[in-house]
Amino acid sequence: MSEVQVGVIHDLGYRGYDGPRLGHAQIVRALVWHSFRSAFGIGRGVKAKIIPILACVAMCLPALVNAFAVAQGNARLFGYDVYTPALRVVVLIIFIAAQAPELVSRDLRSHVLPLYFSRPLRRGDYPLAKYIALTLACLLLIEVPLLILYVGTIVSAKSGSAVWSQTRALIPGLGVGLMWAVLIAAFGLVLASLTGRRAYATGIVAISCFLTWTLSLVLIQAEGGITATSTGARIAGLFSPFTILDGVRIWLGGTNQGEDANPGHFGPLYGLVAVLLLAACLGGLAARYRKVSRS
Amino acid sequence: MTVVPPRWHGSTMPSTEAPAVIETRALTKVYPGNVTALDGLTVSVGPGVTGLVGANGAGKSTLIKILLGLIPPTKGQAKVLGHDCATNGPTIRALLGYMPEHDCLPPDVTATEFVTHMGRMSGLPPTVAKERAAESLRHVGLHEERYRLIGTYSTGMKQRVKLAQALVGDPRLLLLDEPTNGLDPAGRTAMLELIARIGSEFGISIVVASHLLGEIERICDQLVAIDAGRLLRADTITSFTQASQVLAVEVEEGLAQLQAELAARGLIATAVQRVLLVPLGGDDTYDVVRDAVADLALPLCRLEQRRHQVEELFRDEEVTHV
Repeated sequence: MSEVQVGVIHDLGYRGYDGPRLGHAQIVRALVWHSFRSAFGIGRGVKAKIIPILACVAMCLPALVNAFAVAQGNARLFGYDVYTPALRVVVLIIFIAAQAPELVSRDLRSHVLPLYFSRPLRRGDYPLAKYIALTLACLLLIEVPLLILYVGTIVSAKSGSAVWSQTRALIPGLGVGLMWAVLIAAFGLVLASLTGRRAYATGIVAISCFLTWTLSLVLIQAEGGITATSTGARIAGLFSPFTILDGVRIWLGGTNQGEDANPGHFGPLYGLVAVLLLAACLGGLAARYRKVSRS
Repeated sequence: MTVVPPRWHGSTMPSTEAPAVIETRALTKVYPGNVTALDGLTVSVGPGVTGLVGANGAGKSTLIKILLGLIPPTKGQAKVLGHDCATNGPTIRALLGYMPEHDCLPPDVTATEFVTHMGRMSGLPPTVAKERAAESLRHVGLHEERYRLIGTYSTGMKQRVKLAQALVGDPRLLLLDEPTNGLDPAGRTAMLELIARIGSEFGISIVVASHLLGEIERICDQLVAIDAGRLLRADTITSFTQASQVLAVEVEEGLAQLQAELAARGLIATAVQRVLLVPLGGDDTYDVVRDAVADLALPLCRLEQRRHQVEELFRDEEVTHV
């Protein structure tokens, strides 16, 4: 210990950096990872973690309970492609209403965007990274319960063919989850990016989701319920992203009868509206950030 | 991978042969609604610390946005470190550090986390970003406090974080927009000293935009003055201050007498209210004024060097050109 000098301040001076620098794609990936973590409140305070944790627990609990029941010899209650329809919608609305503003409104509020735009990122990179991050977060929230259910079921499967039939049922379920994540993330993000005030952003997203969903359900009921075959009942599901997604699922051959929409031969229309809605949301997001980057 | 040009190793006097850091030719920007922010601006900025002065609305911020490649010019061309701003935005931004004028920090993260993240966004690998964030914060004088939430910082500390995030990517050029905004006099001096140190010791060229000429002339090698989107004057700081500095002389009585005496000694003084303004040529101007006052035995109550505000600079220009 004798060579340790005490009380000497070493001024190292300025040291430059001549090492490798990340390319454009790697910077976007870093932003996606950063945003994905903050979608679950990781790297943030305790308060930021409450809603993501509650959402995950609420989503996974039925799957865990049912997986346990299946292991005891009972039947699998939830279909992979519908899971628990009403719970899934409500939890997703809460998650997206709380976390989409976390990803975009905070940066708008603190005017931090000029710092991103003065870096090597291109104009569209910021919204793209946020969108990918939120889609991945939603995907995780939707797919993990399905995987729990799947694992719980195949553990007690008695034959290879049972495993195979479970796997065959799971794959479209994962596909439906992807479809949900892709559309709902875009829908939530474009609404949240309208304002830097987080409470307003949460309100806008939650109200838009709940209102349209309820509207569609009420219209379907008014037209005679999901078993009705009138044109009105079939197209009433087009008023909310959640019923549109369910309509597309049924059109694409969903195994279970829908609990929300019943598109009948209007299935292609549901597909078209879903694509148009996604395009409108992403276009709106791009336009929003084109405006922000110039101001 | 971005190719980064070598660092500028500064001399205090920029030479005219050094390659220009910023070059604009007939740069014009007209916003929708026929608002002209830049009007045929042609200017060349060498390495070192450059002051960009102009009144509010002169076009400083528009120029910075064009240089960053964020908005396209309506006409003309701008080059930063040899790259065209209209086509090579991302390349230029990899070499630039930008400190905006307004508040731009999230309150609910620590300075270390924030500057590290901004370093990642500048293209630094994870561990390098962490090291350089700590180092940048140390250079701006925030070492102990760097684990505190930014929301708990004073205005002066926030300005330092803004500077640190601009510095973290080891830029070749720093664009600082009103870096002393909102600071008290002591804070202003500290910030200016810091900028001067970055310019001279770190080998980073700096453009400081400000509406306070008197403030930034202390630290600049050269000045670019713009007004209503046009170039007013671009020169080294010495020729600028020679032309713009005056000595204010206030006597309790005998103002006209002193003016005549100074004229006899070869100094053209202008009387403004109760003060005589004498163009400051050099140290001997002080001697001439002192001798004139002493010979006339006038009660001298003030003798001070005044710095011109940008507006006065414009008036000078008009006088010399008309």
